[in-house]
Amino acid sequence: MWSRVVEVMLGVWLALSPFIFRHPGSEQGLWLNDLLCALAVITAATLSFWRPTGYAHLLQLVIAVWLIGFGYFAAPHPTPAALQNNIIVGLMLLMFGIIPNDASHPPEAWRGDRMPETDNDNRATLNSNA
Amino acid sequence: MPSPQAVTDADLNVVAPPWDYNPSAWSQRIPVCILAGIATVLAAYMAAYQWGLVETVWDPVFGTTDDVLDSKVAKKMHAWFRIPDAAFGAFAYLGDAVFGLAGSTRRWQYRPWLVILFGIDVIPLGIVSAILVVLQGTVVGDWCLLCLITAVISLVLIVFAYDEVWSCLKYLHRVWQRTRSWRILWKTFCGLPTPEAAEVALEFASNRA
Repeated sequence: MWSRVVEVMLGVWLALSPFIFRHPGSEQGLWLNDLLCALAVITAATLSFWRPTGYAHLLQLVIAVWLIGFGYFAAPHPTPAALQNNIIVGLMLLMFGIIPNDASHPPEAWRGDRMPETDNDNRATLNSNA
Repeated sequence: MPSPQAVTDADLNVVAPPWDYNPSAWSQRIPVCILAGIATVLAAYMAAYQWGLVETVWDPVFGTTDDVLDSKVAKKMHAWFRIPDAAFGAFAYLGDAVFGLAGSTRRWQYRPWLVILFGIDVIPLGIVSAILVVLQGTVVGDWCLLCLITAVISLVLIVFAYDEVWSCLKYLHRVWQRTRSWRILWKTFCGLPTPEAAEVALEFASNRA
């Protein structure tokens, strides 16, 4: 679940970033975009801890694509710092969002009772060869 | 003898051909993560310069790296990516470390998609790094010590990482040869078990294939 923890931290950073980089005074939409995306990132990461919504972290990929696209197309080069920050956070979310929960262990489908027949039958052989 | 329900370390830590060791073992992957971590820090430092957050970049050999980091090539890439090229490099190295850390010690079988993603990050990145170094010498006509160090790390990473990717591709190829089914190949790639893939993996891991 380390990946989900990193996502929460990225979400917190995204929420803080408009206060650090500042948007031009009239651009309320940019503030709203940062804060709503931050809320969505933290929510998706937190929901992943609850079994029925365990795959919620994949929503990070959607948010990530939005952030990258927004940062890229909202202003021409040179992109303001706040929008470059959106691109960076988006890239990081793309990377961490795809990491499964409990990534250090085999996927659930491959574990124990749900193991396909053949593998169970030959498990002893496998161990002796390993 | 472990119960069939439990996946023990012995189950996970198996030799994968063509090697006589487990290419997904932590001892194989941790060095990749550490090296990639170092390269991430170096690239982030150079990105900080390109962002104007630090005044100069430390370079005891070539004196100044400004000519490289402020070069036309770097400026052009900044315009394309919207972020400095060093920041993009830092992101790619961080990816090497993150994709190196994720997954069990038998991930060549259980999560091929992750191993392939890791390979896509490590191998083309190393090549891009090498190309950028050649560009330094030929187009920019100047050198930058930290850029050279990160480029060397990229190439070392390829050497460290290709064995696991190779085993994984070999396993997927076996599954394809056995089943000739796109559906099973796709499921195997995504890490979903099928009796056929389990059988292939078993033979593969015990060198009986």
